Amino acid sequence: MTRSNQKWYDKPISKLIIVSITLTWMFPIFGFLLSSFRPGESIKRTSWWDAVYTGTIWSELSFNNYQEVFRAENLDRSFYNSLAVTIPSTIIPITIAAFAAYAFSFMEFKGKNVLFLFVVGSMIIPLQMSLIPLVQLFKDGIEIAGIPIIPALDLNGTFVATWFAHTGFGLPLATFLLRDFMMGLPKSVIESAKIDGASHFTTFFKLVLPLSIAGIAAFATFQFLWVYNDFLVANVFLGIYKPENLVVTSHMSQIVVGRFGEAWHLRTSGAIISILVPLGVFFGLQRFFIRGLIGGAVKG
Amino acid sequence: MKNKTQQEKLLRFGISSLALGVFPLIWFLSQAILFRELTEQLTRNIVVLIAIPFGSLFIFLLFYGMNKLIDFAPKDARESLEARMFVGPGIFMILLFLFYPAVRTFYLSFKDRYSQEFVGLENYRWAFTDTEMIVTIRNQVLWLIFVVFFTVFIGLVFAWLTDRLNKGESFFKSIIFMPMAISAVGATAIFKFIYEYRPTPLTQIGIINGIRVSRGEECYNNRIINGELKGYDDSSCLDAVGWLQQRDLSALPIGNRLEGTGWLGEMLVNLPISTFLLMAIMIWMYTGFAAVVLSAAIKAIPSEIMEAGQIDGASELKVFRSIIIPYIKSTIVVVSTYMVVTVLKAFDIIYVSTRGDLETNLLAVKMLDEFSKYRNFGRSSVVAVLIFVCVLPVIIGSALRERDNSNE
Amino acid sequence: MKKPLLMCFLFLTLILGACGGGSLEGETVSITGALIGEDQNGFRENIKAIEEATGIIVTYQGSDNFEQEIQIQMESGDTPDFALFPQPGGVVDAANRGYLTPLADLDIDLEEYQNNFSSYLVGLGTVDGVIYGGANAANLKSIVWYQPAEFEARGYSVPATWDEMIALADQIVADGMNPFCFGMYSNGASGWLATDWMEDIMLRTGDGVDSYDKWVTNELKFADPIVKNAATLLSQIMHTEGYVVGGTDAIVSTYFGNAQDPMFSKDANGNPGCFMHRQASFITSFWPEAAQGQAGVETTVFPFPSVDASLPAAALGGGDMWAAFNDREATKVVAEYLLSADFHAPAAQMPNNARMSAHTGFDQSLYSNDLYRVMGETISAALSANSFRFDASDLMPPEVGGGSFWKEMMNLAVNGPGYIDEALANIDTSWP
Repeated sequence: MTRSNQKWYDKPISKLIIVSITLTWMFPIFGFLLSSFRPGESIKRTSWWDAVYTGTIWSELSFNNYQEVFRAENLDRSFYNSLAVTIPSTIIPITIAAFAAYAFSFMEFKGKNVLFLFVVGSMIIPLQMSLIPLVQLFKDGIEIAGIPIIPALDLNGTFVATWFAHTGFGLPLATFLLRDFMMGLPKSVIESAKIDGASHFTTFFKLVLPLSIAGIAAFATFQFLWVYNDFLVANVFLGIYKPENLVVTSHMSQIVVGRFGEAWHLRTSGAIISILVPLGVFFGLQRFFIRGLIGGAVKG
Repeated sequence: MKNKTQQEKLLRFGISSLALGVFPLIWFLSQAILFRELTEQLTRNIVVLIAIPFGSLFIFLLFYGMNKLIDFAPKDARESLEARMFVGPGIFMILLFLFYPAVRTFYLSFKDRYSQEFVGLENYRWAFTDTEMIVTIRNQVLWLIFVVFFTVFIGLVFAWLTDRLNKGESFFKSIIFMPMAISAVGATAIFKFIYEYRPTPLTQIGIINGIRVSRGEECYNNRIINGELKGYDDSSCLDAVGWLQQRDLSALPIGNRLEGTGWLGEMLVNLPISTFLLMAIMIWMYTGFAAVVLSAAIKAIPSEIMEAGQIDGASELKVFRSIIIPYIKSTIVVVSTYMVVTVLKAFDIIYVSTRGDLETNLLAVKMLDEFSKYRNFGRSSVVAVLIFVCVLPVIIGSALRERDNSNE
Repeated sequence: MKKPLLMCFLFLTLILGACGGGSLEGETVSITGALIGEDQNGFRENIKAIEEATGIIVTYQGSDNFEQEIQIQMESGDTPDFALFPQPGGVVDAANRGYLTPLADLDIDLEEYQNNFSSYLVGLGTVDGVIYGGANAANLKSIVWYQPAEFEARGYSVPATWDEMIALADQIVADGMNPFCFGMYSNGASGWLATDWMEDIMLRTGDGVDSYDKWVTNELKFADPIVKNAATLLSQIMHTEGYVVGGTDAIVSTYFGNAQDPMFSKDANGNPGCFMHRQASFITSFWPEAAQGQAGVETTVFPFPSVDASLPAAALGGGDMWAAFNDREATKVVAEYLLSADFHAPAAQMPNNARMSAHTGFDQSLYSNDLYRVMGETISAALSANSFRFDASDLMPPEVGGGSFWKEMMNLAVNGPGYIDEALANIDTSWP
């Protein structure tokens, strides 16, 4: 308590720094957001700050750009696609990781430490390193010495490919974080369930899962934002050539990279639309999200 | 007696291979094939509609099914079977989707462009001699140093300062944390608008160039003053600059001033300004993350320790340096590690801003370029291995720290 | 409870897998390519006729990132039925890797195909004597955009030779204006505009078409005096003080799609930012909307001036070449249609279409606009006379044509004429 009673924080310099950093951080979005409401010709004719300065901007603002980008671009379809990629890509790794984390926390079995080390160790593999062989795996399967281990499945271009890819890339961190969380649960509760004769399966669903909901929500927010905002994996596994396969980010990239030449009114409004969902999720689940980030990082 | 154990062993083996081998394989294949077929047969809207419940629920079938099968096993075998059932899918997925492809990439890095013949270390030789690769590696190193430093530094200062606020702390933190929720593609679009360059007589709509060309008197950014259009094509005005195309400072006035001012000046003239401007995007995105995590760490410092410092009469800066920093050192390392990994993944920013032109490339983009533009799988794999090599020391370092900490 | 459910799923899979087959009605054929915007609309218009005639659903989707996506799709097996490659090199590479179906397997009459599209174009899509690539539409690059009214008002005349063009440029500079628009920034492909200039000059110097063909295969090195001369002439345009609006920095920084905007923007004295812009026919789709409607009227073209008057006229162009990934019946039907003379007719009638049919038998009167009719005739005549040449950087190996050639042209723009020798030497070294 004494800490917050100090006089020091009243020094204007520290407030000045805070406010100036905050303003700097808000500034890039400001002009962009403003421009998204201006007609395309105006954006190119008068810079937005000149328009603000001379006051002409206020009569220009309208939602027309948003209507146009929605109508012309089928952005809503990309939204549904993004959700169809993101939601399973969040739930699948969490489920698998939760089971594994339970085993690593509460069960005794041979090779437990080695396996856990493997999980943690695989966090160092950057996603790019597995990207291209994974594309080939989804197409041709795996053959070792002529014996097919995984048959040729021809999965690329379907949602399943992105689900599996994101599962692979997200699992190590998910397992690690959830194990961390479950280790913090009171062991006595789980042991008493054991004495009552409940199987691990029941204990997991009835006891551990409800207790871990905070940890799961934290990772879920994290994974949701990461998958939703991902561009590389969607680009590689779904492709961009079929318009029905576009997700929001790949759609946005097409809008940003000069598909319309100089159509800044569509670029700005399109980009603003695309960040609405993650911003909503972010502000809605901010508490969980931050806790998840901190859980892994702050110790002691 | 002996027969019975034989039989039991057989049963146990049968069930375990059924539950842990055959069934998951069927599950995996059926999910894959079923959904692929559905994608082909059904109209798009329905596919999207069923994808969400389908993808989300199918995974529970796996565990449910395995559990049911295990129930047939003799009681005493169940415990170890259950453990394997809990851990198995996770290990299997990591092996199949992460570990195996990574190993294969490593293997392909020794083969030629179409992965047919072994070429030994030829691709590695290329990676360290090709001029574009050298520039790419230089950029990656610059990104690693500066992005990690600035995100952590600004984040730390911000966390420290906001920690002392009576009110408004969470408001300020939310603002600077917000860009983290924006996709890199969106963030790059936002910054491209700031750096935007248009050829001379046109209105500059990017604010940096806009300010540059409007210096009053004769130079205005095509503003209409008293019914007269005022431009900036007068020779006394500054020209607009294509910021993302500047490989050094030579096109700027400051470049001329630095020229011939000794080695430091020469070094500064060669500052790849475009790369730094691109880094700003990432710093903007991730500083809030660093701030939030570090702020939590600062809050975790026991107040007695802080008070002790203050009683000693140490100045605030001294407290910051000698108490706060040492106390949260491990968090700083964790945040830096996370940032290193994130910087190495940086792909979207370059991809939608410059596509690596004019010496702005990064390894992740170069990897995909080698794969698709130049169609050289061997070289593409080498670049991937390089990314891996960059992550390796950081993660091993932090793993060692972790071990030391737990040993204490 | 759940296990029967699973069985149902599996059963469903089998049933669904067994479906399919039947007549061509309702079959889908997908085409992908790099055509976007107006060009995409034109191409979609073109394929409507075959849809109506056969009931096959033909889809076209363009992407500005096509080159990369098609690579990933070939690796991943998720290929479309046709790809419309913007560079014949893409067809050759895909054919070498065994992904493509030869045109012979699509029941195409190869002889007729050669007659219709010229053996030069057909040769670009041929690997070891097997024809994989189907020619389609072309664009013309040997043109310079200008505004006749602005020329007339100042008494300038259209230059027919390089020397006249330089004289005109000097005149414009003396009048206090900038003659050229020049912008070659292009995400991931920066520099191609300068290589286009080089190619146009190459076609008009040395031995013309012959030295051009040798240059494409590296029989003629970049260090050769002919190539060096071309680079010197280009550098004259890029580096002469006052020639390019915005100077060297503008050349490197300006997005090629915006490069001509200064021409449409008048300063306080009513002077345009520039007078001449050498750019391919497709640039019109990047213009401001108001200017697009005036293509061929307010803003039109003159042919790229000749350099060596003793050489016959030649035309530089680009174009798309399609290739098929399978030989399904529906694919065959569509392939035949793609090569027919009428294929391009609907697009040609669209007002903003800037692609010309590469079919020499195409009815040139169909073009909606005189500008495009003239360009179409130029292409067709050049193809028949074997003086049409494809963009060299698209034919060179990707390390050069999509790598060092582009990159060194950017470096040349930045570093000035003193860098020519080094630039050309660097490109030679990078040739695989």
